[in-house]
Amino acid sequence: MASYVFYGWWDWRFLFLIIFSTLLDFYAGQQIYKQIHRPKKARYWLWLSMAGNIGVLGFFKYYNFFVDSFVDLFANFGYEMNSTWTLRIILPVGISFYTFQTMSYSFDIYYKKLKPTKNFIAFAAFVAFFPQLVAGPIERASNLLKQINSKRTFKYQQASSGLKLILWGFFKKLVIADALAPIVDDIFANYADYPASTLILGVTLFSFQVYGDFSGYTDIAIGTAKLFGVELMSNFKFPNFSRNVAEYWQRWHISLSTWFRHYLYIPMGGSRVSKLKSVRNIIVIFLISGLWHGANWTFVFWGAIHALLYIPVFLMGRNRLYANNVIAQNSWLPSIKEIGQVLLTFSLVTFSRVFFRSPSISDAFAYLKQIYRNFNYAPYVHPMGYRMLDFYVLLAIFVCYEYLIRKDERSPFKFKSPVVRLLIYALIILSMMLFYDDGVNRSFIYFQF
Amino acid sequence: MKKFILKSIIYGFLILLLVEVFVRAFHLYTEDPPRYIDAYGVEKRVPHHEGYAVTGNRNQNFSKFHINASGFNSHREFNPSEHTFEVALIGDSFIEGFHQDFYNSIGKKIEAQLPQVHVYQYGYAGYDLANQMHLVHAYEEQFMAIDEIIYYLNYESDLDRGVYEPNYDRINMLRSTPFKIRDQIKILAYGSKIGVLEPLKRLVSGQAFENKNEGYETNKVTPYSIKEQRLKDLQRLENFKSLMRLYGFDKTKTTFLLDSRTTSDSFLAYCQQENIAYIDFAPAFKASKTSTNLIYDWHWNNHGRELIAKVISNYINSKHKQLK
Repeated sequence: MASYVFYGWWDWRFLFLIIFSTLLDFYAGQQIYKQIHRPKKARYWLWLSMAGNIGVLGFFKYYNFFVDSFVDLFANFGYEMNSTWTLRIILPVGISFYTFQTMSYSFDIYYKKLKPTKNFIAFAAFVAFFPQLVAGPIERASNLLKQINSKRTFKYQQASSGLKLILWGFFKKLVIADALAPIVDDIFANYADYPASTLILGVTLFSFQVYGDFSGYTDIAIGTAKLFGVELMSNFKFPNFSRNVAEYWQRWHISLSTWFRHYLYIPMGGSRVSKLKSVRNIIVIFLISGLWHGANWTFVFWGAIHALLYIPVFLMGRNRLYANNVIAQNSWLPSIKEIGQVLLTFSLVTFSRVFFRSPSISDAFAYLKQIYRNFNYAPYVHPMGYRMLDFYVLLAIFVCYEYLIRKDERSPFKFKSPVVRLLIYALIILSMMLFYDDGVNRSFIYFQF
Repeated sequence: MKKFILKSIIYGFLILLLVEVFVRAFHLYTEDPPRYIDAYGVEKRVPHHEGYAVTGNRNQNFSKFHINASGFNSHREFNPSEHTFEVALIGDSFIEGFHQDFYNSIGKKIEAQLPQVHVYQYGYAGYDLANQMHLVHAYEEQFMAIDEIIYYLNYESDLDRGVYEPNYDRINMLRSTPFKIRDQIKILAYGSKIGVLEPLKRLVSGQAFENKNEGYETNKVTPYSIKEQRLKDLQRLENFKSLMRLYGFDKTKTTFLLDSRTTSDSFLAYCQQENIAYIDFAPAFKASKTSTNLIYDWHWNNHGRELIAKVISNYINSKHKQLK
């Protein structure tokens, strides 16, 4: 109930959507299970569940996008059409997250990985569990529903680590993401006036901003869930230290990439089919993943770039190479080779973010063209006149600290000495004040997805 | 659960204590010397306070202040005499100058250009023309001995009333226990200054839930229509006339320091018609190739103050040729 109140607080009308999704998948799940020995009928219910969820998602998120795209397509062939079919639709917060979460329930029952629950309240709590409702992690019923159904008791260690994760999440959001937001906004809004050095700085800082924003939210969500005795899945494992793009996708938005892997890539044949078909599967996954982020060709393009970066790694058979280890696994410092790999991967991923951040494809290309055309250096002046050195030092400390804790994303303060821990907590609170800016719009980037 | 709550409270307390130490050690908080209203009804600072005023989250502007025996931030004590040439510079925070070291103020810069002149800066944040003219009237004897009086007039905000009334409520509020506590606990003083406590206040007062669409304030300025502007200008002029009637205005030695870009033509015309002198610093600011304002707040920076000192010095020089 608290979760539904939480969601309804934003706009009560959209409660009907989440209630619809809940009812649909609760009933569809039971029907799929009933018909499990009659695959045709089970498939019928699975399709119904998917059609319902994707229908809602498609209408609220993609309707205008597809109408406009068709109009543009016809215009290219000389047929001018007035786009009178577009509607004024508000995108419901978190719709991409909870529809995918409920669909995973139906899929798991269909693939016989899960038995449907008879407890409607538990299922409703699984769909709308408030810490992760609006921006993930996109949970699986096998993990979350099982915990909701079982008796939970208060555990000191769990609650304590939850609070620590919340603190770390707030640091990433309030200090890293929000401090960089005005700089990134300024550079992307006025890219035509800036030299290449500033544009490269802008997209690099956006990489850190979006990471701080999204992983910060995730940490707060995981930490909050821990306070309720629930363990959510990890969503980020220090993606900035990835040594190739495949590793990056094993560390960035893990709940989404594994969703696509389990429910789309593997059913399509995954890598067990011919190389050509596997490449096709990869392209499909990345394009859909791009589209999942937003109804804009920029996201599709962003997905396409990642497909192009992933395919060579896949063809060389290096896509699972770093699945079970981190940079400098058995040493203090990374090797020169690892540093090179990390820098290359970070640069490639950052390059793709030009498309992720730009409002349109033409803006993204214009941004890149400006880098090429005005290939000069000029020191960047903060839009509010702040000293940029402060932000560079902040980022350097952040990267170094993340490197220190790189082996365990769920324990950001794993220091034996309580004095050291206390000092770090105090410094984190202090940094929140040092970089606080009451003029910043603090909404989370991924809320729009 | 009990252990968790207890440890959370202890950790929370220790963290805040440590942050308080950091805030004090790096002097992140700003000091605001206490205010009071004297027997003449003049609002000013409690004399003999020294400290540092800080702007920005990260000490971006750090300057020393010194409150003299008269209750104003100045490098001078105010003892006018027949033998020296004194200029009284009266105004709001721009003249008070907490955004600059007190020994690098406009007054000091004028004195550097006119060594025979002593400049007395009667600056106080929030002063409007009513405050300023009442001050001169209240300290009539002192001002009789002063040779030049210059009022800094911010036309758009300084002429909203035609009579001065001391604001005892504000002084009492600043003296109240919550404010005293805030000033003693530096983390609160710092948090309050940078606005970090605002979301908490909004949460506690319930305002945070009232406007869900706008998570932040916007500075939307609605311009006045021509008719409204004319009425506003008329009202300001009436207020000025009322202040002159109540507190007097010695045209022989009183001058306005103003920016003609933001002052109405009708007010300037009235001044000319009534032989009220004014120093317009707009041409100097317009001609300046570098910024005249601070980055982190709207006050004049060192260059802006240099320009102001120069236009004032030139004016005094041209009016009192014997000082050359």
